[in-house]
Amino acid sequence: MELEGAVVLVTGGAKGLGLAIATHLQGQGAQLIVADLDAESLGALPESIEGHVLDVTCPDDARAMVKEVAERHGRIDILVNNAGVIHSEPMVNILNPAEMMHDYDRFRNSITANLDSVFIMTAATVEQMVLRRTKGVIVNISSISASGNEGQTAYSAAKAGVNAMTVTWSKELGRFGIRCNAVAPGFIGTGSTHKALSDTIIEHIQSKTPLRRLGHAVEVAKAVTALIDNDFMNGAVLNVNGGLTI
Amino acid sequence: MSGFETNARLAEVLADVFSLPVDQIVPGLTKADVGNWDSLKQMDLVMSLEKEFGIALEIEDIVRMDSVDNVIRVLESKGVDLGA
Repeated sequence: MELEGAVVLVTGGAKGLGLAIATHLQGQGAQLIVADLDAESLGALPESIEGHVLDVTCPDDARAMVKEVAERHGRIDILVNNAGVIHSEPMVNILNPAEMMHDYDRFRNSITANLDSVFIMTAATVEQMVLRRTKGVIVNISSISASGNEGQTAYSAAKAGVNAMTVTWSKELGRFGIRCNAVAPGFIGTGSTHKALSDTIIEHIQSKTPLRRLGHAVEVAKAVTALIDNDFMNGAVLNVNGGLTI
Repeated sequence: MSGFETNARLAEVLADVFSLPVDQIVPGLTKADVGNWDSLKQMDLVMSLEKEFGIALEIEDIVRMDSVDNVIRVLESKGVDLGA
């Protein structure tokens, strides 16, 4: 799909990786709409990017926003499901015997933020694509965690679920001309990575990565562009991790 | 274009979507008679009919198409000439 003139919705696009993706796609000529929970960051976006405050875990709000955007722009060509929250918590924390096991509410919240949100936004967007016969593209932002990261039970499960939904939708929605792919970033040098991981762990990750460095957000954005651009890519989960998993 | 030709086109579409021999596509055939006529097949049918006959089907049309008879009625309501 040509990005020039395409109507693109990026969730969680007001800052960090999402903003890098939104900015990169806009640079290729796309019309950018960003949905994000963070009103303050939305307020800091350039005027050329349309911002919407949205909780992507709320189906009714998501459906209403997506419908309104599709009506105003005539369609939504591309959805990038980027919104999510990294959650790290060991399954067993022996140093806290009173509450030794992974908390269920925090597990549930992480699944809602990282898995349910992708389902909710995709359902709302695909509804508009099907009704308007838009041969669109869904790009899900997965993670290297999908194959199981120590200390990230919920996040890993959510991202593995995202990969499964990507493949399922690629099969199911292909009949409408809608493609679905995912990008699975490894460790990218964003604020959230530095917030979630200590410097020691980051140094360890770098030493285990064949390219000996963290990724740049724009490298993930370029992978998103490649999946949009190539009309025969469908059901792919594209690793962008410097070779960490090979 | 003759009616026979148009009907043959419809039979071909239905036979292809439901993986049935063309001679089993008869007006009385219903969703209940076809084992694999589920919601996904319904959408395959919609996309195939739209492509073959150059029409746009609405949600109400899609829901109404639960038999070959009703597919014919919907197509005729869209101005498709299926002949006698």
